Amino acid sequence: MATQQKLLTRNPRADMLVDLLELFSGLFLVGFLWTHMFFVGVIYFGANIFDRFSIFLDKYYLSYIGIAAVILVFLTHLVVAGRRIPNRYREQKIVWRHARMIGHTDTWIWVFQTITGMAILILGSIHVWAVTSGWPIRAMISAGRMTHFLWFYALLLIISEYHAGFGLYRQFVKWGWFNRHSVGAVLKTISVIIVLIGVGIMWVLLRLGGAR
Amino acid sequence: MANRQLTFSIFRYNPHTPEIKPRMQEYRLEELPGMTMFVALNKIREEQDPTLMFDFVCRAAICGSCAMLINGKPRLACKTLAKDLPARITMFPLPVFKLIGDLSVDTGTWFRHMSLKTEAWVHSNKQFDPAKPEDRMDNETALKIYEAERCIECGCCIAGCATANIREDFLGAAGINRIARFMVDPRDERTGEQYFEIMGTEEGAFGCVGLMACDDNCPMQLPLQMQLAFVRRKMAAVGWKYKPQAV
Ligand code: FES
Repeated sequence: MATQQKLLTRNPRADMLVDLLELFSGLFLVGFLWTHMFFVGVIYFGANIFDRFSIFLDKYYLSYIGIAAVILVFLTHLVVAGRRIPNRYREQKIVWRHARMIGHTDTWIWVFQTITGMAILILGSIHVWAVTSGWPIRAMISAGRMTHFLWFYALLLIISEYHAGFGLYRQFVKWGWFNRHSVGAVLKTISVIIVLIGVGIMWVLLRLGGAR
Repeated sequence: MANRQLTFSIFRYNPHTPEIKPRMQEYRLEELPGMTMFVALNKIREEQDPTLMFDFVCRAAICGSCAMLINGKPRLACKTLAKDLPARITMFPLPVFKLIGDLSVDTGTWFRHMSLKTEAWVHSNKQFDPAKPEDRMDNETALKIYEAERCIECGCCIAGCATANIREDFLGAAGINRIARFMVDPRDERTGEQYFEIMGTEEGAFGCVGLMACDDNCPMQLPLQMQLAFVRRKMAAVGWKYKPQAV
C-alpha cells in the first residue's frame, strides 16, 4: 500500500545495499581474522622476531589504524548481519522448532552462526579490551595472557573460525559461483588448518609463559 | 518375512471446531509391499477414521497437492515410500500455508499471491497474430525455461525455509524460481529495472539467507540454489546501476 511515509522514504536499492554491506564487511573480517592468525604466527620464529614485528607495526601506526578499522567494520557487520536474527519471541520459537523438526544440517549451521556471532561480540570485545589495556603487544605479555586465559582463547579461536568459515560458505552458496558441496569441503579444510595453526600458536605462547 | 507394523502419529486439528485443541493421534497399520504414504493415509481413512483430512489428486508427483511434513521433512506423500521410513512415522501439515484441517493446507492462495506479485506472465507489446508462425527459440533457452517450469507448486521449499516460516512476505524459492523463468524467456520484454522492483528487495532475492532447505527438499529436484543465485547476481548487476525515479 502506498502510504505517504512509504512514498517519501522509498529507496528500492536499500535492501540490496544492506545485503552487499553484509557481504563486504564479512569478507573484510574474514580477511582480518586470517591475516591476524598469520601475524600472531610470527611467534613461531621466536619471541624476538615477534616483538620486532610488533614494534614495526606500531612505528607506522599500522596497528592503531588496523584496530580502529576492524572495530568499525565489526560494528557495521553486527548491525547489518544482525538484522537477520529473529528478534521477537515468537520468531525465535518458530526458528528453533523448525530447525529441530526439519533436521537439516545447513539450517542448524545457521542457527549456530547467530549464536557464535553473539558470542564473538562478547568474547571479542573482552579480547580487544585486554590487548589494548595491556598495550603494547609483546611476546611475554601475550604469553602471560595465554597462561591465564587459556580456555577463553581456545573458545574464541574455535567460534570465530566457525563463524568465518561458514559465513564465507553461506556467501558462496548465495552467489552460486561454485557447487556448494565442494565449496563446503574446501572451506572446512581451510578452517581446520587455521584452527590448527592457532592451537600451535597457543602452545608456543604457553611454553613461553611457563618458561618465565 | 512378516510385514512391519507401522505407527502413524498424525497432527489433528479442525479450525471449524476450535474447542477441540490441536493434538497428535496415533494409528497402526501393517506395511504392504511398495506402500506409499498415499496408500497408507487412504487405508487409515477407509478402515479406521473417515474424519482424517488430507489432499491428493494425481498420486504421481505431478499435481503437488499431497505435500506434508513426514518425520519433519517436507515431502510428497504420494512419492514417499514406507520402506524408506522407520516404523514410527509422524505427519504434520506444511507450515506457512493456511491450515484447512489435519494434514490439508491451502497452498493455492499463497501461490496465487506469488504469481500476481511476480507478474508471472509474458509481458509483451507485440501484437498477436494467430495466422503467423511462432517466433523460434533456440533449444538451450527452451530447456532452461522448461527446467524452471517443472515446479509443481507443492510448497515444500516454502515450508522448509526458515525465512519463509518467519517472514510472511518472503517469496521464497518458488517465487524466485518463477521470476528466473521469465528472465530467461526472450519473449518477456520486461527490463532489468522492472524485475528489480519485484525481486531486488528482501521479499525477493535479498531476503534469502542461503539455508538451502529448499534445494535439499525439492521433490522435483529443481536446481534451486543455482536459480536463487542467478536471480541474486542479476539483481545485484541491475541494482548497482539502478537510478530510481524521484517521487
Ligand atoms: S498427489 Fe499429486 S503430487 Fe502427490
